[in-house]
Amino acid sequence: MKKKVLSLLLASAMVVSLAACGGSEEPASSNAGSSNSGTESNAGSSDNAGSSDAAEEFKLEKVTMVVNGTLTATVDNGQADFEKQWEDAVGVDLEIKQLDHSGYVDAVGRLFASQDYPDVIIMSADMYAQYAPTGLLWDMTEAYENADFQERMTLPAINEALKKDGKLYGFAPTYGNGCVTYVKKAWLDAVGIDASTVTDYDSYYAMLKAFHDGDPDGNGTNGDTYGVVAAGFLGNEAPYINYLPEFWQDAYPAILQDANGVWYDGFNTQETKDALLRIRQAYVDGAIDPESLTASTKIAREKWFSNDQTGSSGVFTYWAGSWYQTLTDNLIKNEVNEELVQLPPIAEVAEIGGYLNREAPVWVIIDDGDGDNTREQAVFDAFIETMMDGDVVQTLWTYGAEDVHWSTKAEEFVTNPGTDKEKTYSYEEGKFHLKQSPNDPNSVWKKNHLDPALVISPLTNGFKATGDLADAGNKFFTENCIDAPLSPASETYTNSTGDIYDAKMQVVTQVVKEGMDVDTAMQTLYVDVVGATIEQCLAELNG
Amino acid sequence: MGKKKNVTASGIEIRKKPLGLRIWNHRGYYLMFLPVLIFLLIFNYWPMLGVRYALYDYKPVGEPVFVGFKHFEKMFSTTAFWTAFRNTLELSIVKLILSTFASVIVSIFLNEMGNLMAKKTLQTIIYLPHFMSWAVVASIFSLFLSPSSTGMVNGMLKEWGILAKDQMGIYFLADQGYWRPIYYVINLWKDTGWGTIIFLATLSGINPELYEAGDIDGATRLQKMRYITLPALGNTIITVLILNLAKVMNLFESVFVLYNNAVYSVADVCATYIYRQTFAMALPNYGYSTAVGLFRSMVGCVLVLVCNWASKKTRGRGII
Repeated sequence: MKKKVLSLLLASAMVVSLAACGGSEEPASSNAGSSNSGTESNAGSSDNAGSSDAAEEFKLEKVTMVVNGTLTATVDNGQADFEKQWEDAVGVDLEIKQLDHSGYVDAVGRLFASQDYPDVIIMSADMYAQYAPTGLLWDMTEAYENADFQERMTLPAINEALKKDGKLYGFAPTYGNGCVTYVKKAWLDAVGIDASTVTDYDSYYAMLKAFHDGDPDGNGTNGDTYGVVAAGFLGNEAPYINYLPEFWQDAYPAILQDANGVWYDGFNTQETKDALLRIRQAYVDGAIDPESLTASTKIAREKWFSNDQTGSSGVFTYWAGSWYQTLTDNLIKNEVNEELVQLPPIAEVAEIGGYLNREAPVWVIIDDGDGDNTREQAVFDAFIETMMDGDVVQTLWTYGAEDVHWSTKAEEFVTNPGTDKEKTYSYEEGKFHLKQSPNDPNSVWKKNHLDPALVISPLTNGFKATGDLADAGNKFFTENCIDAPLSPASETYTNSTGDIYDAKMQVVTQVVKEGMDVDTAMQTLYVDVVGATIEQCLAELNG
Repeated sequence: MGKKKNVTASGIEIRKKPLGLRIWNHRGYYLMFLPVLIFLLIFNYWPMLGVRYALYDYKPVGEPVFVGFKHFEKMFSTTAFWTAFRNTLELSIVKLILSTFASVIVSIFLNEMGNLMAKKTLQTIIYLPHFMSWAVVASIFSLFLSPSSTGMVNGMLKEWGILAKDQMGIYFLADQGYWRPIYYVINLWKDTGWGTIIFLATLSGINPELYEAGDIDGATRLQKMRYITLPALGNTIITVLILNLAKVMNLFESVFVLYNNAVYSVADVCATYIYRQTFAMALPNYGYSTAVGLFRSMVGCVLVLVCNWASKKTRGRGII
C-alpha cells in the first residue's frame, strides 16, 4: 500500500509539473528583448519604423548589453565608472553583462535558449554568419545609412562587406585586425640571422631550424628551444590559419568562395595537403613546438614570453597593434630581452595579399519581432550612434572612464617603484594621457573596447594615446594585410560545424603527429566521414 | 484472490485506519518531507521534461520544430557517436576494475602495517590527491608529460638513455597508444587512496579471533591474507563494483581535462561528445545533444537495473 501511495504521489506530481511546464511554453523568438529592454513605447504602431523620428517618439530607459572580454574595463578594472559616465552622457541606464571570453559562444546560446535576450550583443564573424539568417537580429541597414557618423567614416567598406543580401544585421565599429609574425631580435642575433633576409619559406624555415638546433636562449644547451609556437595547427574560428600563415600559405582549409562567388571546400585541396606536409616536416624537425598541437592561446603566449626561455620559441604569430605593445610589456615583465621584429609577409604569404585581416566582430541589436522598429532604432541611436560620436562616448569606448583610465589633469605617477623597471610619468594640465590600470598600478592602461587605430570613424577631440609600438604595429599590419574570406552560413553547415571541425582536426593530427599519408587521411578521416555533409553544405550555399 | 489481511499471531485482524487519518496522524513527518518533495519535483523531475526536445530541432533562436526521430537516426549513423559510446564503456569499466583492485591491494597492505603512525601518515598522503580538482591534476600531469624540452618525464627518459638526446619527446597525452594507460594511472593516483576507506572499514570489522586461530594453526601472513582477509572483503568488493557499474556512463570531467583532438578515437566519451556538439557550435542544436544525452541516460538506466538484479543475486538485496 505504501508503495502504491508513493507511486500515486509521484505520478500526480509528474502530471502537475507536466501541465505547468506545457502551459508556460513560449516561442523562443517571440517578443525577444522585450523583457529585458526596460523600455516603454509611446510610439504605438508607427508608420515611420526605422526612422529617427520614430526613435524620438520612443522613450528608451535602459539598454542591456552582452559583451565578451573585448571590453577591457572589466568589473575589477573600472567598469562601474565607465558605466556611470556612459549613462550620464547618453541619459539611458546601461546594464552590462560581461561573459567569459573563452566560453562566450556557448554562454550566448544559453542566454538565447532561456529567452534572456539583451538589447545589444557583440558577436564574432562566425556567430554573425550563423545568426543573421535566423530573424533574431534587427535589420539596421536604414539606421546605419542614416547615422550621423557616416560623414566622418573613413572605412565604409568594413560594414558594406557585412551586408547579407543588401541588409546589415550587425555593426562593426572597427576593422577586424589580424596576426603578424613576431621574432625575438635577441634570438636572431644569437643564431646570426638578419631578419631582412627572411623573405621566403626556405629562409623562414631555416630560421626556425636555427632556433631549434642552436642555443638562442644562451643556456648552453642546443636543441631545447623551438622555432615557432602556435595555439593549434588549425584554429577553431575564422580565419583558422592566422597563427601559422607561413605554413598554410595559399591554403584556406574551410568552405569559401572562389572569384566567381561559387562556394567550395578549401580543406580537401592540394594546397591544404601541401600545407599539412610542411607542418609535419616542421613537427619532425623540431622547428615547431610540438605542444602547439594542443596549446591554447594563453599557453602559447605564456610559453613564448616565459621567464625561463628553455622550451620557448623564437617566433610567434599573434595579433597586431596593441598586442605588439602587450607582448613587449610581458617580455619586460619576465626579464626577457624585449626587442621584437615584425616579420613582413614572406613571399608565399605576400602572394595571397599578406596577413589575413579577420572578419570584424559586430554589435547586433535584437529584434523583438513585434514588427515595429521604434525600440530597435532607439537602441541604435543610444548605443551605436553614440559609440561613434567622435567625442565623449566614443572616448569612453576607446580609452575608458575619465580620471579613472585616462585624464587631462596634471599628474605624476610611478610604475614599478623601487625596482630597476621604475618609470615616472609626468603630465601637464590639459594634456591627454592614460593613467595606471585600476587593477595594476605597475602598468599603464592601454585601451578599452575600441582600438583607436582600427576604428572606422576616428575621434574628433584629438585624444590620442596609443603607444609607439601599438601605432607601429597597426601601421605594419594595415600595410601588409588582406581581408579574410567570408564565413559561410547554411542550415546543414550550422548543424554540422562541430562534426566538420572534428574531422578536419583528425586529418591534421594524423598527418602532422602520426605521419599518416595525407591522401589517405583526407579520404578516410574527412571525405568518408563528412564528405556528404560538405556536399550538402555546398549545394545549399550555391543553390 | 482476496485481499491480504494483516492479522496478529493469535489471529486477530488489524484494521488499518483510513489514509487521510494516517497522514493527519503523521502530519509532522509529511510536513518534513514536503520541502524534499518540492525540491525533487523542481530540480529532478521538472528538468526531465526537457527530454522531449530530443524529438525537436531546438536552437537558441526560433520555436522548437518537431522532427520525430531524426536526431536518433543521425546519432546512430554517426561514427563519432559510436566511438564515444564504445570509449565510455571501455574506459569506465577498465578504470573501475583497476581502481577497485588497487584499492583492495592498498587496503590490505595498510591493514598489515604495524606502525600506527606510519599507517596514518601513509593514509593521509594517499587520500590527498582525491581532494585536488581535475583541472589542477590535468595541469600537473600535462607539465610532467610535456613533449617539449621542459617535460619532466621526457627529460628523465633522455637522461636514462631510453630516448636519444636529440630525439623528439613522447607526446603522451596526444598519443593514441599512451593516452589510455596514462589516463588509468592518473585515475589510480587520484582515487585509489580514497577508495581504500570502505575496504579498511570492512577489514577493521574482521573478527581478530580468526587471525588468532590462524596463528594457532601455524598460518603464515600470506595464508591469513589469502584465507581470512580476502574472503572477508569479497562481499564489499562486489558491492563496490556493482554500485560503481551503475555510474559508468557518467564519465566526463576526468576525460574532458585530459583529452584533445589527437586522441578522440580512444578518449572521446559520450559526455564530451555531447559537450562539443552543444558548446562548440556557433548556433547549437540542443535537440541533437538532448537525443544523445537521452540515449546515454537510457543505457545508464539499464545498467542500474542490471546492477540491481546482480545485487539481489549476490547480496540478497537490491541497490534501489
